[in-house]
Amino acid sequence: MLLSLNALQQELPAIAETSLKDLCELIASLGFPIDGVEQGEHGPVLDVDITANRGDVMSHRGLARDLAAKLGLDLSPVELDPLEEGDALVSVRLEADACPLYSTAMLTLGALQSTPEEVKKFLASLGSSAKDLAAVDASNELLHRYGHPTHAFDADKLQGGIVVRYAKAGEKITTLDSVERNLTEKDLVIADDSGAIAMAGLMGGDSTKVDMDTRRVLLESAWFEPRVVRAMARRHGLHTDASHRFGRGADPSMARIARDLLAARLKNWAWAALDGAWTEGQEPAIGKPINLTKDLLQRIAGEPLSIEDAALLLNRLGCVVEENTSSLQAAPPTWRHDLTLPEDLVEEVLRLRGYDLIPSVLPPVGSDPEPLAAEYQQRHGIARRLASLGFYQTVTLGFVSPEADAEFADTSAEGRTLGNPLGYEFSVLRGSLLPSLQHAAEHNLRQGAREVRLFEIAPTFHSTSNGPEEHSTLSIVWAGETGGLDPMTSRGPVHPAALQGVLAALGAQGEVRTLEGGIQAVEVALTDIPASPERVIPTFKGFSRFPSVERDLSLVVPLDLPFAHLKTAIQAAVTGTPLQTLTCVDIYRGKGLPEGHQAWLLRLIFQGDRTLMGEEVDAWVASALESARSLKAELRG
Amino acid sequence: MTQPDANALSLLPTEMVEACDDFSSALSTCSTLDELNRLKGIYIGREGSFSSRLMDALKKAPKEQKRNLGAVVNGLKKTWEDAIKVRQSELETAKQHLDSAKNAWDATLPPPTPPTGALHPLNRLMDRLVDVFRPLGYHVEEGPEVETEEHNFDGLNIPEDHPARGTADTFYLAQHSELLLRTHTSPVQVRVLKRLAPELEKKGGIRFLAPGRVYRKDEIDPTHSPMFHQVEGMLVGKGIGMHHLKGTLAYAMKALFGPEADVRFRPSYFPFVEPGCEMDVHCPLCGGSGCRVCKGSGWVEILGAGLIHPNVLRIAGIDPEIWSGFAFGMGVERTAMMVSQTPDLRLFFENDQRFLQVMGGLD
Ligand SMILES: [Zn+2]
Repeated sequence: MLLSLNALQQELPAIAETSLKDLCELIASLGFPIDGVEQGEHGPVLDVDITANRGDVMSHRGLARDLAAKLGLDLSPVELDPLEEGDALVSVRLEADACPLYSTAMLTLGALQSTPEEVKKFLASLGSSAKDLAAVDASNELLHRYGHPTHAFDADKLQGGIVVRYAKAGEKITTLDSVERNLTEKDLVIADDSGAIAMAGLMGGDSTKVDMDTRRVLLESAWFEPRVVRAMARRHGLHTDASHRFGRGADPSMARIARDLLAARLKNWAWAALDGAWTEGQEPAIGKPINLTKDLLQRIAGEPLSIEDAALLLNRLGCVVEENTSSLQAAPPTWRHDLTLPEDLVEEVLRLRGYDLIPSVLPPVGSDPEPLAAEYQQRHGIARRLASLGFYQTVTLGFVSPEADAEFADTSAEGRTLGNPLGYEFSVLRGSLLPSLQHAAEHNLRQGAREVRLFEIAPTFHSTSNGPEEHSTLSIVWAGETGGLDPMTSRGPVHPAALQGVLAALGAQGEVRTLEGGIQAVEVALTDIPASPERVIPTFKGFSRFPSVERDLSLVVPLDLPFAHLKTAIQAAVTGTPLQTLTCVDIYRGKGLPEGHQAWLLRLIFQGDRTLMGEEVDAWVASALESARSLKAELRG
Repeated sequence: MTQPDANALSLLPTEMVEACDDFSSALSTCSTLDELNRLKGIYIGREGSFSSRLMDALKKAPKEQKRNLGAVVNGLKKTWEDAIKVRQSELETAKQHLDSAKNAWDATLPPPTPPTGALHPLNRLMDRLVDVFRPLGYHVEEGPEVETEEHNFDGLNIPEDHPARGTADTFYLAQHSELLLRTHTSPVQVRVLKRLAPELEKKGGIRFLAPGRVYRKDEIDPTHSPMFHQVEGMLVGKGIGMHHLKGTLAYAMKALFGPEADVRFRPSYFPFVEPGCEMDVHCPLCGGSGCRVCKGSGWVEILGAGLIHPNVLRIAGIDPEIWSGFAFGMGVERTAMMVSQTPDLRLFFENDQRFLQVMGGLD
């Protein structure tokens, strides 16, 4: 909200001495951070961030009042000449509880009218231009200065008496912004015999608007139920200066005052003569007394504040306070709709004292600490393992396009579709992470990355009759060309088996898919990945201190023979021998081999609980070779 | 080399004289040990070499010439042997150099290291926060991303007509209009409070952190994303006040940003806390002296917090007369951008490996 420093100082002259920087700090310390300061024609203009609960601060007077309470100073008196009320010149009937109070006055304007230059500058500095219509400009000025919205009707355009009521089904109104709006039975309107002439607390109607030809005005200074105004503003997408204030709770005691101030301005600016002033209804009761105990005060404050100190501060805010040594009872002022609980009162006390003064203490330890959940730890373990294997963790949006989803998801997108997505391409809660990772991989390849290694751990969504179920999921993509970055690793396109190997390193299995552009991709549910052992270190397994014997077998094998088959066969053939490891240490697919074959260099390491004899190892290797031959592997010549 | 006298040389066959003359140049053209060995065989080998033929010639020479010729032959033989030995040692040294160069690893070559990878910076920051709060006994609680209005709004004392509930701010599911994408991690509070309410007296309190993904209907731009991350924290105990919140967060900021990190509280408003506050921390970039990031103030806003609203406890079935507590919530992207001075939020979701490599790490 924009506030003119000049106008703020008029309400609280004592702050004229305060530097702008200190004043900004002071306002922020009350809970209203300053988003910026601009130099306006009318002096500096502060952009103040008012929290949603404080409609009462949405004016110069309102903020000045909070500052005055903080500083223990007095506000300037409001120069007011109260109108003498008499009989209604136009009947006003309040048919809805949502409008308990309606103050009005009828004035006849003089031949000339002009809005003072000062006021024009004031309005301009707040981003609101003067219309050179006294009634409109004065109402606008009052709203910014005192926070109470008012309205003026062209009295000669009214047909019959005024009724404040809910709209009838099918009723329409054209508002001042020339938009025709369809009203509902929940919309509160001001009506005359012709129908709705204003939307209560939001905006006046076009049919009764004040213009250059207006001779007589009927003023409206009322109070509307905040909930009703908020709902109307939202329903019609019509958020106005008035709806912001009525919607957050206006001060009912301001209704008459604002009318009187408005009338006084019309007398001064437009030579207006009062025809009559009257009020229908009663001020609604606001601010039930709240009981605050010393215990609660001191528990929240964290220090032995006295009830007397609290009472003093609450009194400065306008609360009517009664106190004894152990508790106080405070009746909030009519402008503080937000004060309903004892906790609210403590917040006010702390706010006026300054949050800086709150002590800083670690809380006592109540409950026992708990370990991190296994599922959480597993996710982190997997992420660290993959990062150490050279993969980059990604974060992608949880929704994708229906097409991208359909390509990978295992359930129908029905039940996972958003009703109000940001756009079609973000409309389905993804059933798989792969569309997102594919997209990220393609981005990197397009950017010239020669190798892309990405993974993500996130929930995937799966349709059920009760709504989407979430499964923690791991997806990995590997694309481009791998190796060749140092003299020891050779370069080549990423092979699906390599990704299978990465998965195997996690103890998992999954079907590797080759996507367009040679992107290798795999996805597994986290529940399908064995959890890391619960022990901090594994159970001890004995090992031999006798020397090991290493033998290499150079084999020519058919290209379609999987290593795992050969390994199983050899292991079976040498069951009972102290074979410790069997690995493939080299693969050769170059020249000099029969068509359809490759060469493997197998290394067998034997180690037993005694020193092994060369002859016995020879015999084991011979049986290993024999079993390899049964799979069409031959000793390389 | 001592030249045999001409008189004696004349006693030798012509080819020998020529071999004598050629030795020096032949020796100098030997650039490998193999070549040298061949030359050695030709001149001083056991059989058929020049020196063995000289010895044969000496044996056959007339007696009066034997003495002179013997001196010449021995001189030549020794000259050749010495010269070959010197050359051999030179070549051996050279070969040793070459061999050691062949075996040596050039340390300036890239080492055969495994490829580099990294955790995502947002995950790293969330992990750091968990690390910061672990010593205080906080564990991690998580909840679903698809939530009910009850958990996301009702349980948090958010009024029926609060604008955040509207379809302009919150994503709702098409086929299940009662379900939405959680707009903050606070529904985890509601779930945990409800779950633990019956055994709260036995447990003695609640402490946890809830990191996670949240969704709001914002268009993607340099400072907005429809999905982002929050870390929520909560403590419930007896006699908990604002001073405990301040003490906890002051500790956390020092643990996160270093011992110089001071904090300050400002009043603020959130429906699920009372009193509410926002916390600023000494600008982690300039340490409080003022810079571009803190707009010269020396302070940056880091999180929102407050004491748990009695209504939130009441809705969860916890008596606010007995129990009290605090809650705080931090926007992960906002903090990450501030600390790293990353100019555009979209970089965190683009997943460009160059960004991930610079911003990520293995811990
Ligand atoms: Zn700074």
